[in-house]
Amino acid sequence: MLSIKNLHASVEGKEILKGINLEIKAGEIHAIMGPNGSGKSTLSQVLAGNEAFEVTDGEVLMDGNNLLDLATEERAREGVFLAFQYPVEIPGVSNMQFLRTAVNALRHHRGEDEMNAAEFMKLARETSKQVDLDPSFLKRGVNEGFSGGEKKRNEILQALLLKPRLAILDETDSGLDIDALKVVADGVNALKSEDRAVLMVTHYQRLLNHIVPDYVHVLADGRIVKSGGPELAFELEERGYGWLGINEAVAS
Amino acid sequence: MKPAPTLSPAFLEPAGQQLPAPLLALRKQRGTALADMPLPTRKTENWKYSSRYLQMNEALATGLRPEGKAGPALAVDGYHVVFRNGVIVPEASVYPDTAGIEIKSFSELSDTEATDLAERLDNTLDSNAVQLARLNSARFEDGLLVRLKPDAVLDQPLFIVCETDASHSGSAYPRIYVDAGRHSKITLVEEYISTGGEPAMVNAVTEFTLAEGAQVTSVRLSLDGENVQHIGATGARLKASSRFESHTVGFGGPLRRHDLQVRLEEPGAECKLNGVVVTQGKQHYDNHTTIEHVAPHCNSEETYRNIAADQSHIIFNGRIHIHQDAQKSNANMSNKNLLLSNGAEIDTKPELEIYADDVKCAHGATVGQLNEDSIFYLVSRGIGRREATTLLSMAFINELIEQIPVALVRETSQARLNEFIDRTFVEV
Repeated sequence: MLSIKNLHASVEGKEILKGINLEIKAGEIHAIMGPNGSGKSTLSQVLAGNEAFEVTDGEVLMDGNNLLDLATEERAREGVFLAFQYPVEIPGVSNMQFLRTAVNALRHHRGEDEMNAAEFMKLARETSKQVDLDPSFLKRGVNEGFSGGEKKRNEILQALLLKPRLAILDETDSGLDIDALKVVADGVNALKSEDRAVLMVTHYQRLLNHIVPDYVHVLADGRIVKSGGPELAFELEERGYGWLGINEAVAS
Repeated sequence: MKPAPTLSPAFLEPAGQQLPAPLLALRKQRGTALADMPLPTRKTENWKYSSRYLQMNEALATGLRPEGKAGPALAVDGYHVVFRNGVIVPEASVYPDTAGIEIKSFSELSDTEATDLAERLDNTLDSNAVQLARLNSARFEDGLLVRLKPDAVLDQPLFIVCETDASHSGSAYPRIYVDAGRHSKITLVEEYISTGGEPAMVNAVTEFTLAEGAQVTSVRLSLDGENVQHIGATGARLKASSRFESHTVGFGGPLRRHDLQVRLEEPGAECKLNGVVVTQGKQHYDNHTTIEHVAPHCNSEETYRNIAADQSHIIFNGRIHIHQDAQKSNANMSNKNLLLSNGAEIDTKPELEIYADDVKCAHGATVGQLNEDSIFYLVSRGIGRREATTLLSMAFINELIEQIPVALVRETSQARLNEFIDRTFVEV
């Protein structure tokens, strides 16, 4: 479904991604691990279409189409979803209004009728319970005054509502206590389906106790230096990154 | 050096004489005082950024007479008074029938009442600061007097729809005076609209006096057409523990000027002034506000937000004057501005004059653009760029719109602002 070939990207003239190759099939869960500064978040942002990053070489094909030719909103409409590491607070736009506008933008793209406010309200309330977010959060400004955990749950709520083909989770586990981690993991597991792929970017192995990936990749200095099965994550947890020849202190 | 142009004498000739003698006398006296008044220029400090938008040609001096049909107004079910070209239209109005509340047009006042009113008119406004609004006092054809006896409470908002029928060129001078007695309470909504396409000018003055403990909420919605220049002034004087709340929502035009002056004259008085302005194309809007902290222990809270698109121009001048005796004053002023294009201009000027030493006074002004991170967040969910910018622009002002305590005005404002902002981004 997703095919990343020799992807190079830089920000403000500094090259961060130095030739990423990755194949992801529908139904698979991939985890990308690596020390701080290895390019994990850059990869997420580039896939979602953040224009602050410049792609200097390579291609990203989704179902055979070059994703890099599409504007951010077009990628989303084709099924790319990024759960942000730092979700943005937008006071003045209610969460409900934001979610409904997004869901209807995707429905419109698929040639489906828009959902009216009442229909959507029902759906959103049900889904918010699934991520243990009180429905009162729907009335508040987007992420406004949400705790770190609430913001992450709001990201998963969006993923559940938007039903992406490719869900990219950027450090969705960071800053969560154990209960919140469990809720987020349950949400991600609920996303798992035959026609959907999940790409999890994480610094720690602990999320992988709750979500079992099909593949684990180690990213260092802008390249994938090792790939393996779920056992690789445990090995990293035990041995750190040093045995792979990665100097974590230098990389960060 | 070329002398500054002066006000054409034609502006000092009122059209109608349907007022009680004391008000006719007042009008004449104000007119005499304005003879040879120099028109504002770039060098006139409080018109520095706006004088170039002002057109006071003789064709505009003609007093517009009430005629034609009512234009599209807010669909008000409740109490409302309709001014057409500055004259009240009783058959289009529904006055409240509430104990302790008296509503009359100036033309139906007795001589005694008119004498009393003539002594009060203009007393809430600093004549030096609002020279052009003074023209209203020389020209008004009619007016609305609202008097609340002590403890009188109006159970629903009173809408005042000021229509300008600009099927001919000329000017109109709506006038409102509200006298709120002790512990009385009223919400008053002024809506300015126009029909017809000829160049016209509205010069509207509204005054409030608040006795001890009175609570007045004033909502001002400025929706005049592109052919209409609008000069407005609102004055309020507050006695002990009274509260004045003002919400203005303004859409730009060829010239839009509103002066708002509030005097906190006795301890415990407080005011809250909110304002929202949006402009596009080559439109203009200028808000000048003054809060006089005359007495100690008074509070003022002021929040204005502006959005300028295209080549439009917004001015905000917020003056807070804390007098020497006004110890323990608490004053907060915030003005945030959003520029949607490189060609737009916003001039913001907080003016603080503080003569008391034990006060809390905070002010802040910012001018910025939409946050790219916020735009990216929205478009990454499939929302189009244009819709994202509309959502974010609305978010910038929604906080203030949501505070408008009248649902009809809130909804109308939101719909109009949405439409306005959406139109602004068509080219993006």
